Amino acid sequence: MEPIVITGIGVVSAIGIGKAATLESLRSQRTGIGPMRFLKTSHREFPVGEVKLSDDEMKQRLGITAEPTTRTALMGMLAMQEALEESNLLTSHPSYPIALVSGTTVGGMDKSEQYYLDYLDNDTRNDYIRTHDCGTTTQLMADHFGLFTMATSVSTACSSAANAIILGANLIRSRQTEMAVVGGAECITKFHLNGFNSLMILDHDQCRPFDADRAGLNLGEGAAWLVIETAESARRRGAKVIARLSGFGNACDAFHQTASSDDGEGAFLAMQKALKMADLQPQDINYVNAHGTGTPNNDASESQALLRLFGSTLPPISSTKGMTGHTTSASGSVEAAICLLALQHSLVPANYGWSRPMENGIKPVCEVLTDYPLQHVMCNSFGFGGNDSSMIFSRL
Amino acid sequence: MEELILELKKQIIEVLNLEDVQPEDIENDAPLFGEGLGLDSIDALELIVMLEKNYGIKIKDPSAGKEIFKSVNTMAAFVSDHRTK
Amino acid sequence: MNSKVYIKAATQISIQQPLSEQWMTAPLAYAEPYVRSQDPNFRDWLNPLESRRMGKILKRALVTALKVMQDSGIHQPDAIITGTGLGCIENTELFLGQLCREGEEMLKPTAFMQSTHNTISSLIAIHCRCHGYNTTYSHKHLSFDAALLDAFTQMQLGDISTALVTGNDELTPSWFSILRRTGSVGQPGQPPASEASVAMMLTTDPADALCEVEQVRLHYGAATASFADSDIPPFDFKQLFGECYTASGLGVYAAAHLLHAGQASRLQIVNENEEGSSCIQLKSVL
Repeated sequence: MEPIVITGIGVVSAIGIGKAATLESLRSQRTGIGPMRFLKTSHREFPVGEVKLSDDEMKQRLGITAEPTTRTALMGMLAMQEALEESNLLTSHPSYPIALVSGTTVGGMDKSEQYYLDYLDNDTRNDYIRTHDCGTTTQLMADHFGLFTMATSVSTACSSAANAIILGANLIRSRQTEMAVVGGAECITKFHLNGFNSLMILDHDQCRPFDADRAGLNLGEGAAWLVIETAESARRRGAKVIARLSGFGNACDAFHQTASSDDGEGAFLAMQKALKMADLQPQDINYVNAHGTGTPNNDASESQALLRLFGSTLPPISSTKGMTGHTTSASGSVEAAICLLALQHSLVPANYGWSRPMENGIKPVCEVLTDYPLQHVMCNSFGFGGNDSSMIFSRL
Repeated sequence: MEELILELKKQIIEVLNLEDVQPEDIENDAPLFGEGLGLDSIDALELIVMLEKNYGIKIKDPSAGKEIFKSVNTMAAFVSDHRTK
Repeated sequence: MNSKVYIKAATQISIQQPLSEQWMTAPLAYAEPYVRSQDPNFRDWLNPLESRRMGKILKRALVTALKVMQDSGIHQPDAIITGTGLGCIENTELFLGQLCREGEEMLKPTAFMQSTHNTISSLIAIHCRCHGYNTTYSHKHLSFDAALLDAFTQMQLGDISTALVTGNDELTPSWFSILRRTGSVGQPGQPPASEASVAMMLTTDPADALCEVEQVRLHYGAATASFADSDIPPFDFKQLFGECYTASGLGVYAAAHLLHAGQASRLQIVNENEEGSSCIQLKSVL
């Protein structure tokens, strides 16, 4: 595959606003999960990984005063600013096409869940009706920067951002664009907090991915973007190349809407496709950032898929959701950003929250590994509905 | 107990939207999950909500559902023992 | 690279007669500002136990998918890709309504589970046990267009040779009343606010194709004037099918059948909105 390179990264999550803060949290194994501060809900008993900024604080940082806007869009803009800055696209952007592919599922639900009865009943909140859907969130972000010649939104629950990265890469491979900003954004809403609670998959304590006593996930929120382009485009612009997207794969578990299959077939196939595209063998992978939500089901299923793929020689594996929480639609890109920081800084993030090995499961890396050179890193994102995706990032 | 069993069958049909099923189609002892009616984990969650709504019983652990919802008989016994409404 | 892409089968459930092309000779006409789809008898396709949790949009999506799989003979496509502007809004409103009116206890998990946009595409895969590429786009009026673009792109790259592309949108009476507040629907002179489920099987094999897909372009920030072909007359399908986020899907479906019936040699669907625009060009294979 012709090289697709990454020239910019932006990330906002519970473990930091921006790459530097995120890296610092990874180095010091500091979790961003804790008591709720911003979400207005009666279920304050659940630990969550909130971005440590209110909507107003985010608006201030972005220089936005107008409404309507949504928390998801604001987070997205903050992270996008960082990515575009690093890729030198804020001050001078090329005259050729740039695509935006954004993964989100809740869209403007943070507003709709406050105003739904008004939408039905009166005209006081009409401005927010148009912000309800996913596409409008992408539009709000696109309009803020005014750079894009194509924009679309992926919505595959927890693998949305990963699938956004995949479409962006395919648009580049097929020469429909030379450059794309890809990733996703999602804020915590009452809607999906209660939704996950009704499915009884939230942990009342700090989550413990791949732990024998794991009891569910902690919701998180965040946004992350990668600027991806052809090597030729980066060369022409003099953009600094960070790493390569060397392979990716998308497969469907086709088992159940909210549970993964026992043998992790969809996950296995997605990882296998990614390896094939990257022209790599399982033993070439130096680190896997697992989906690892901390639910009994996911971690068991994903373990099987990993064991099937890697056999007896597993690479270091960790889930970073013990620190960021499950950032749902943004997780594919938040974790891609973490993988890229890992590659750049020779660091393997810890699987925070783990203490006891699960039966028939993988044993994750439980202390951060530093000065650990990495060549190829795999990043997994598995969504409800069996929408499974895997990406491989490589050093140049 | 007869009354409770019939009540539960009607609620199962309503809550799970089993359009073509009548109470008399559900045998008291027949397995509800896997074979028999072929219900799944989501149906179990809906039944947990139903138990709370109609009988005031709060089930915290979803895996407890396996035993409780084995059949209409086991459900009725459980409700009888734990109902607060 | 650059394999040709064909539509082998296409069907719809809309305000016209379902799962048929009767609209070509005997179209239904409507005066109301809001019209729901004409549904087929779902029992002809789905068993009640399996469909017990499915609202209208899911049943329509699955049935249209099953019909094109049957018509095309392709039961395990390499990809299943869906576009939906609003997603499963009926289930979303069920959960949201319960949340807003009754509070945060005893909420129905089924409503939440069936409310996520990718439920549609997953359901088709689960039903058919299809492990291929699977994704969902939700970008208002350009949702189906994005789904088609993704399939088209992967086929041109040679990554896949068959793809089931679907577009699905439903409109509940309550959401219609909400949209009416913004003036985007329900105004005099507008086509009726409607619903749509469209499914089509794409393939790189020209045998028995309805038509060829020549080009799919998405654009943001400017009009399509630069890449719509002025030699091809634009094709107005909203008078037949109404206005909904999946309208362009119906346009492609209708154009495919019109081309197959020899009623044109090329047709283009131009879809211009504030969230962007698209141009889809189809060509006869007769």
